[in-house]
Amino acid sequence: MKGDMYIARSSDKEILEKAEYGGAVTSLLKFALESGRVDAVLAIKARDGNRYDGVPVLITEPEEVIETAGALHCASPNISRFLKEYLDGASDLKVAVTVKPCDAKAIIELTKRIQINLDNLLLIGLNCTGTLSPTKAKTMIKTEFEADPADVVAEDIEDNKLTIRLKDGTEKEKDLTELEERGYGRRENCRRCETNIPIMADIACGKWGTTDKNKTFIEVCSEKGSDFIKEAIEAGKIKVEQPSSDAIETVRKKDEAAIELARQWQEKDFASLTEMSGDERFNYWSTQFSRCIKCYGCRDACPICYCKDCVLEADRGFVPPGEVPPDTMFPMVRITHVMDSCVNCGQCQDVCPMELPLSRLIFMLNRELAGIFKYEPGMDVSELPPLRTVTDQELSLSSVEVAL
Amino acid sequence: MSIEYVPTICPYCACGCGIYLITKDGKIIGQEPWKEHPVNEGTNCPKGKNAYDFIYSEDRLKMPLVRKNGDLQETSWDEALDLIASKLKEATPEKFGFIASCRNSNEDAYVMQKFTRVVMGTNNVEYCGRLCHSPAAAALIPAMGSGAMHTSQPEIELADCFFLAGVNIQETFPMITRRVLRAKAKGAKVIYTDPRKTATARYLADIHLPLKSGTDAALINAMMKIILDEGLENKEFIASKTAGFDELRDSLSKVDLNEAEKITGVPLEKIKEAAITYAKAERACILYDQGMSQHYVGTDNVRNHANLALLCGHTGKPGSGINSMRGQINGEGSGDMGCLCVFYPGFKRVGEESAKFFEEAWQVSNLPAKPGITYIEMLYNCPYLYVVGADPMMVIPDVNNVKKALEKDSFLVVQDIFPTEISKLAHVVLPAATWVEREATHTWIDRRVQKIDKVIDPPGEAKPDWQIICQLAERMGYQDKFNFTSSGEIFDEMRSCVPQYKGITYERLKNTVGGIHWPCPSEDHPGTPTMFLEKFGTPDGLGHFQAVDYKSPAELPDDEYPYILTTGRSIFHYHTGAMSRRTPKLLDEVPRSFVEVNPEDAIKAGVKDKDVVTLETRRGSIEAEAKVTDEVPPGLLFVPFHFPDSLANVLTISTLDPKAKCAETKVCAVKMEVKQ
Repeated sequence: MKGDMYIARSSDKEILEKAEYGGAVTSLLKFALESGRVDAVLAIKARDGNRYDGVPVLITEPEEVIETAGALHCASPNISRFLKEYLDGASDLKVAVTVKPCDAKAIIELTKRIQINLDNLLLIGLNCTGTLSPTKAKTMIKTEFEADPADVVAEDIEDNKLTIRLKDGTEKEKDLTELEERGYGRRENCRRCETNIPIMADIACGKWGTTDKNKTFIEVCSEKGSDFIKEAIEAGKIKVEQPSSDAIETVRKKDEAAIELARQWQEKDFASLTEMSGDERFNYWSTQFSRCIKCYGCRDACPICYCKDCVLEADRGFVPPGEVPPDTMFPMVRITHVMDSCVNCGQCQDVCPMELPLSRLIFMLNRELAGIFKYEPGMDVSELPPLRTVTDQELSLSSVEVAL
Repeated sequence: MSIEYVPTICPYCACGCGIYLITKDGKIIGQEPWKEHPVNEGTNCPKGKNAYDFIYSEDRLKMPLVRKNGDLQETSWDEALDLIASKLKEATPEKFGFIASCRNSNEDAYVMQKFTRVVMGTNNVEYCGRLCHSPAAAALIPAMGSGAMHTSQPEIELADCFFLAGVNIQETFPMITRRVLRAKAKGAKVIYTDPRKTATARYLADIHLPLKSGTDAALINAMMKIILDEGLENKEFIASKTAGFDELRDSLSKVDLNEAEKITGVPLEKIKEAAITYAKAERACILYDQGMSQHYVGTDNVRNHANLALLCGHTGKPGSGINSMRGQINGEGSGDMGCLCVFYPGFKRVGEESAKFFEEAWQVSNLPAKPGITYIEMLYNCPYLYVVGADPMMVIPDVNNVKKALEKDSFLVVQDIFPTEISKLAHVVLPAATWVEREATHTWIDRRVQKIDKVIDPPGEAKPDWQIICQLAERMGYQDKFNFTSSGEIFDEMRSCVPQYKGITYERLKNTVGGIHWPCPSEDHPGTPTMFLEKFGTPDGLGHFQAVDYKSPAELPDDEYPYILTTGRSIFHYHTGAMSRRTPKLLDEVPRSFVEVNPEDAIKAGVKDKDVVTLETRRGSIEAEAKVTDEVPPGLLFVPFHFPDSLANVLTISTLDPKAKCAETKVCAVKMEVKQ
């Protein structure tokens, strides 16, 4: 049932050899296909074996699932967009999807907006304390770790340390905060992220609470997840044991430490914006948005922006067409349309050619709104976003000031 | 069902940004960011973001067309190619001209120039590089040994001063603007010369010098004189790495700074500020484009910016140098491949020695050893014309005159992906495969060679350009010299005779995200992101000053034609618009042509925003919608050249740079009236 916890390990020799942490996730994905529970698996694969080039793959043959085994830290593909754009929101296809917390949140927000059919999905959550930009990671590995990026066979983030393992077996470790202060390390949004365990998925799988890197800690987060795990155990696909209370305590502590670190980053990042005077802030954002070249990259990458006929399109007449930078209404509309539901996935900032701090701004506003409306995006599919549920009375509140 | 992420490179400008195309059942259904690509790191400009729509445009050419009874009619490849072969057999070498394109792949371009030289026996092969960056070769080969970009794109971030010479990079190279912004965040200063107050002037430049169109050489002479007066020249660099400084100094001694202020219209204080900022920088980077090149003094303009770089020693370091910003996907490559009437492949100058070298390489005899004629000259003088992926009816100045010349042609073949303005005049039109419908390499702005794989099949009976040319060569009796069965075979032959590419292989390109920068002399060589680290590529290894006297534009305003007309681009469109006008999201942004008019001029001329005005020069007239804006100063009008029904190049003047044969599309005299 929901809330159950297991320490799991694959029963499949081949998977155990290739996968990390006991290969439970790979075995579960394979079982989901074999058992007919899903029609396809959507997971991330290193394209041509390249760890810096993780791409979504749609798999229908169980024996191909193993190609997605192992964690990739230097990739941030847009899974929810793949589901929405290329699988018609899983409207008529049952899919098991591997999701980081932000992916799961994005899928839930898109479900609320009737862009994804959650009933057809089995969300296999992956615990996550952050991903890295592939190009920055490669530079960092060269300059900070003094290693050839092509020699890296694994990365790991643990206790605020980033470790890389090279193909000759050597490991190199650096303090994550120090790397991040020098502009390397995790993507900016990941540093601020407080959700390490995707409890909004059907199951959440991670390494915390296990030892020797050969087992996976699984937390069951829904009845769907519970049924699935039980079937997998019965079918002998994974071997499980009950986690000790020490193990459960370890998970809690590691999660808390990561959350604390995220809060520190939020404080620091948001302070850089909120400490400015009104005029400074206005000038700062005017300068930032004056760089916009109207590529629509942020809108298209955003899991919250879903309108098929967007008001910002050139032919809608709302924003004068053909201007660079576009009229102020362009960023304003973008921001106000998504800030109640931002899941801090960072995709908008990843794809901005002018490197505007979009994710920083929108997530900061979201944190303020979350407090005001008591609404946490991406957690519960039955909770509708404030923009949909706001009352006349709330709209007339004059004491609310959001610090744009 | 199979949905694949297929990596490819954007088909538009010369940056070479990576994108993923999403394919499903043999069709492209979307595109996604490719975050690992070193050029763009997952980001794209508006065009890159809408990279593939045009492929599926309804009016793609799918079958060969032959003119019968006045109309172009569908026919078979056999009939079309037989007809072309029989006609071309009539042509004497000097009557034939081949116009290749910056859109061609390296393999296409290599085969086209080989066809022209081996089969037709002439060096009359050109490409649109002639119309934009020919002054780079003319000025920079003597100055430094190569006209290619000195630095690589990522290294641009290392500069602490930028001189954006006539390049509105915010709109024309936004992916390079990123690099400039990163450098600015570390304190770099940006100097920008452009008569227009563009987005680059308003939001990127620290020092904007709004000079009068065509006065670049006078401005740079003034800057250099100031640098010498202040003693800021790099004496050690000049002494150890350059030649010809005395001549430059003598020439600059005649420069009158007050006169320069008058000529350029830029206050002397501002010129001083720019000169001192550039000279005092540790690592200054000149990025330049058509604002400098497209003048009849384009070569002089480039020479003078090279003089400036040499004077201050701002070359030979990553992120520095004088960098010609090639605008198109194969702007560099088609030139490297020898689609220029004065260069065999690898920029081997046309002459007995090069002819002999290639006779041996290709196992042929009697290769032409005399230079051919240039692009625009060919349009007027070659009655047998073969045009691939180019629309001279849109990009050549004084288009009406070009049309008259082409209508007199005995035989015009046009090979393209769409019907174009010039295909309307053709005797034969051949359908070509586009960008991701074949496997090929291109060479981007920073000498970056990347390979594009075939993703989908071409429509109808369209074929890769190189295949069409090889099949034609076969019909003309040269099967054994053109028996390529894949683009890889062409690439291998090419790299055996082009030393810059010798170490680059398909296998290496497949495994190197972001490609390899030439020169790459051997297969274990990593490529060369920065040129001239140790010495210049000139025979003596030195940088050569080439003093320049300012000459005023060929046609200046007078009572009858009171405004200066300048032409250029919008961020949402691309050159002749063949691709971008077939991309709905881009067309929606800028659906039609326009003319930018300063508010003062608008009042004087009684023009209101959105009025349709008639623009007239001594060559012809067009209509365009007025856009009243202070982006242009009083006295200057700006028209983009993307739209065939309001075509800027009907107006422009065909005065050519005597050295580079590039035309003065940036300045002419024009009058404007509200359409009655």
